[in-house]
Amino acid sequence: MKKWHWIALGIVFLISLILEFTFLADYDSHWWNHIPAFYAIWGFVGCVAIIYISKWLGKFFILSDEDYYDR
Amino acid sequence: MIVELLSVPAIILILGAFLLPLIPERIRSSAFILFPLIALGVLWTLPEGSLVQLPFASYELHLLTVDALSRIFGTIFVMIAIIGGIYAFHIKDLGQQTSALAYAGGALGVTFAGDFFSLFFFWEIMAAASTWLIWARQTEASDKAGMRYVLVHIFGGGLFMTGILLHLNGGGSFLIESLEQTYTVANVFMLLGVGLNSAIPPLHAWLADAYPKATITGAVFMSAFTTKSAVYVLIRLFPGWDILIYWGVAMALYGVVYAVLVNDIREILAYHIVSQVGYMVAGVGIGTEMAINGTTAHAFSHILYKSLLFMGAGAVIYATGKSKLTELGGFAKKMPVVVGLYMIGAFSISGFPFFNGFISKSMVVSAAGAAHLPTIMLLLILASVGTFLHTGLKLPYFTWFGEKKSDFSVSDVPLNMKIAMGMGAFFCTLFGVYPALLYNYLPYAVDYTPYTIYHFVEMMQILVFTFVGFWLLRKKLEGSPHIAIDTDWFYRRPADAVQYAFVELPNRFYGFVEQRSLKIAGGLSRFSKNPLQLLPFGSSNPDGKKEIKSDDFSASIGAALAFILFGFIVASLVVLL
Repeated sequence: MKKWHWIALGIVFLISLILEFTFLADYDSHWWNHIPAFYAIWGFVGCVAIIYISKWLGKFFILSDEDYYDR
Repeated sequence: MIVELLSVPAIILILGAFLLPLIPERIRSSAFILFPLIALGVLWTLPEGSLVQLPFASYELHLLTVDALSRIFGTIFVMIAIIGGIYAFHIKDLGQQTSALAYAGGALGVTFAGDFFSLFFFWEIMAAASTWLIWARQTEASDKAGMRYVLVHIFGGGLFMTGILLHLNGGGSFLIESLEQTYTVANVFMLLGVGLNSAIPPLHAWLADAYPKATITGAVFMSAFTTKSAVYVLIRLFPGWDILIYWGVAMALYGVVYAVLVNDIREILAYHIVSQVGYMVAGVGIGTEMAINGTTAHAFSHILYKSLLFMGAGAVIYATGKSKLTELGGFAKKMPVVVGLYMIGAFSISGFPFFNGFISKSMVVSAAGAAHLPTIMLLLILASVGTFLHTGLKLPYFTWFGEKKSDFSVSDVPLNMKIAMGMGAFFCTLFGVYPALLYNYLPYAVDYTPYTIYHFVEMMQILVFTFVGFWLLRKKLEGSPHIAIDTDWFYRRPADAVQYAFVELPNRFYGFVEQRSLKIAGGLSRFSKNPLQLLPFGSSNPDGKKEIKSDDFSASIGAALAFILFGFIVASLVVLL
């Protein structure tokens, strides 16, 4: 990842925030619409949670050696 | 009658499958594409209604029942048969070609079937034909996986048929119509049978087991037909069944968890089929007009981008001979076209604006919101985070970018494979940019606009921050040389014990009984050779053993036999005369 990649992502995020606060200020069909940048939080937390929970489940009982069924 | 039958799209393809062996090899690949093209033409000229009936015992089969729903499903099945045919254009394997065509025919037959028996007939054609696409890989793993696949589908077909027969026995309609949400034995059996083909956990393990082991071209067809035709049947039979909402959400997340863990690129994609079909199953469960439209649109989009993704993964396997993340990496520059086209599929499945996933997935999610199911909505959005994470980031990053993890050479991918991928990518973009092309043909009138500021904001934030999360934690997502244990454990792991209990144990028991009876028979025959041995008198040789001389008793036995024979002759003469 080069620096300008991060800048580009930052700009996209900024645009989404501007749109959210100017055009959607009074949009409240769901409870989470009151939380600013909710989808960014949900995306990040969700991504981290998916990785950690899956890895934990994998270690716990899902993953096994490749020859598991051939033994 | 014959002419009428030829207007059934399924029969056109199945007839094609029978004709292919008669067609010279060099034009066979072209002929393969011709049949779906004819079917496409036919199915767009058909009027609505039940068009072809066939008497069968005391029933009347409805082979061709057309409405908006069956037409749109039929269209996408035919489209993918054409694209798949182009992708497999270089293949000269007659077995694969005929079975792929019959498989597509089965999917079309299911789509246009108006009654349960026709539906089941084509349902089983799909199961049988698709099995060959696994076996045609001709490796030990694919042989075994194919056997498991066909056994599981025979089991699923059995469940479905049991349900159908109980349904008919209970006075249910022979024609296919939506079932009331009551958990009668018949309904439960049918739901389980269709659920198995929809890959609803825990009945889904056949999918992730078999698809990665199928042939490169076979997996493309498989990714399109089996689960989506089952979704179609769910829409027909079980719209608005609440249980499907929860089941659908659970499978959307289930697939995501497994996709984190598995190492084979086609297995990642296979688990994402489970995840994506989860949206559709949830949509069927919600059951509103918007949700059914969303499910139909999502099935349509999904078939396009998922086959594109499978084509990309197939191109990697074709070029490198490798399929595991732990063995690939660092060769994006050697196949830029494939990478680019794959990424269009990845953007589509992840729901990037202007690609077809955006216009269909958001419809299902919005339908959940409109039906006042906010938690369902949030969980479906969470699943789409997982989708982008794996299909859009993890798979391409570790397959093509990142460091090279083993020695392999990259051979050229045939042009026809790239053309097919290009077609898939074209349609993914076309329907993303002009959603009306799809929306106008959905079963209900569409009152939904995907391109709103709200959806833009939503997707932009989710995608950007999923990417950030991925980049920070990418080390954790690196493949590991392991396999993920899934519910196929229940029929794979105890296989030895089952073999012991049902094959070896009876075998040993019969062996024991056989030996015993032979011994007894041997003893008896020795004894009956010379009954005189039993008598207390008679000459013995010097060892004290009785001498066995046949002439000692042959004369007397001979006389006895002669008397018996004489008696028979006299008796028969008396009776006859």
